[in-house]
Amino acid sequence: MGVLDRLRLDNKVAIVTGAGRGLGREMALALADAGADIVAAARTQAQIDETAQLVRTKKRRCLTIQTDVTDSASVNHMIEATLAEFGRVDILVNNAGGATRGWNKPLEVITDEQWHDGISLNITSTFYCCRAVLPHMIQQGGGKIINVTSGLGVRASRHNFMYSTAKAGMINFTRALAMNYADKNIQATLILPGIFPHDDPQMTAFWQGGKFIPVGRPGRDNELGPACVFLASDLSNYMNGELIALEGGGLAGGEVPTGFAPVVPLLERGKS
Amino acid sequence: MSLEQFSLRGKAALVVGASTALGDAAAIALAEAGADVAVATGLPTPLDTEATNACANTIRALQRKSFAKTIDGTSESEVASLVQQTVTELGRLDILVNAPDLPFAKPLAEVSLTEWQRVLAVNLTGVYLSCRAASAPMLTQQAGRIINIVSVLSERGMANGSAYCAAQAGVLNLTRALSLEWARNGITVNAIGAGWADGMGMIADEQIKQQLARYIPNKRLARPHEISDAVVYLASDVTGFITGQTVWIEGGVLSRL
Repeated sequence: MGVLDRLRLDNKVAIVTGAGRGLGREMALALADAGADIVAAARTQAQIDETAQLVRTKKRRCLTIQTDVTDSASVNHMIEATLAEFGRVDILVNNAGGATRGWNKPLEVITDEQWHDGISLNITSTFYCCRAVLPHMIQQGGGKIINVTSGLGVRASRHNFMYSTAKAGMINFTRALAMNYADKNIQATLILPGIFPHDDPQMTAFWQGGKFIPVGRPGRDNELGPACVFLASDLSNYMNGELIALEGGGLAGGEVPTGFAPVVPLLERGKS
Repeated sequence: MSLEQFSLRGKAALVVGASTALGDAAAIALAEAGADVAVATGLPTPLDTEATNACANTIRALQRKSFAKTIDGTSESEVASLVQQTVTELGRLDILVNAPDLPFAKPLAEVSLTEWQRVLAVNLTGVYLSCRAASAPMLTQQAGRIINIVSVLSERGMANGSAYCAAQAGVLNLTRALSLEWARNGITVNAIGAGWADGMGMIADEQIKQQLARYIPNKRLARPHEISDAVVYLASDVTGFITGQTVWIEGGVLSRL
């Protein structure tokens, strides 16, 4: 089978949390394009209904399950409902999350509630989803878990305590998954999306059109789907515990101004 | 999204280091995905030449254009004329893959300056030369994909591996620097961090292979195509927002203590 054929996800079932909008929807649609049937999970039924409609236009099945990923009973129900409908689950994309709890606040004023809610939404949710899905993946003989982290998971930024902590946690949680379930043919990997304004003019303005990003633009939604398909497909079978970052070069140089490119001639000491 | 977006039809690639297991697999995977692929070895030995010629034959059997060339990969003029010949024979240059792999391990106290310089020259300086030569056509067309294949020893140390480790780490940070330099020119520069793979120069010994496999969470060495599959992904049009990154494909070895 040729290299491009091995991208196909025919007869596979993928759960995407936070599939009602943004990157989650984009990944769900890309997985469907590659041939997978989709389980779209999120809190807001109307949004996952829309995602489901879009999946069905691609001639793939889509089950919507209203889910609160911070509630383990709700997550367990999500997995049971998936198995009841499809009888299997091959791919889990832990995409649900959010940065707003305690965002842009100094540590001293972050409340207990903001901290716990944020950690619960971003990382405990992933623990719940993985705990519920692993027995089935093990029984099936394998699976792919794709976690979503952030540039803030590897670098810090001003007044972003909860999100930086949770997203860094996501990375090492993924390594732990990789190392512990490798022998069960389960691969755990990460996607690290940089700035993706989702064609929202307000967001694009907020991020200044991405002019501070080395490549000079923010990410496009349709760049995320292919990364997800790559990680969900047989093309990444030896990739385990590792991440693909789509962020336009920001992590390569750290926080230096874009275009910072000094020219320093090589001078021998003692010579002019 | 269509899976056709991953196709490399109409693109021209150059793989330097095509006599190595990973370079060979990368060249063939690029051709399978539709690209025409020039293949070269920077190590002018009969064995490397033979392997590179065989690689070109495989590519032609896939109905893609190819030619094989043996050069001194550390020679400025020979690398420049290799890139020139690629542009002439394939019509353009969209993708450069660097996969040099001169293995070397010895206690540092016994490493001669000549050995050190040779390991650095093949594994690091050669990459600089081919990136520089390929940047000319890529900057003109304001588009390109450069993919440097490194080993996990670019990130982890190994006793007796000093020169090799230093060279590999050099390629990794060269990759990051170039990604920023050409970020506004449509050229992405990324690395693939290969785990211990079958056919790698550093691990010919069967007993060492078995020891390694026990240590790797995936409990086996990588098959070369598992590394080169990611070359196809990074070479495609869908990765314009990925640059300066290392995609690690190592069966979990960097995840464990």
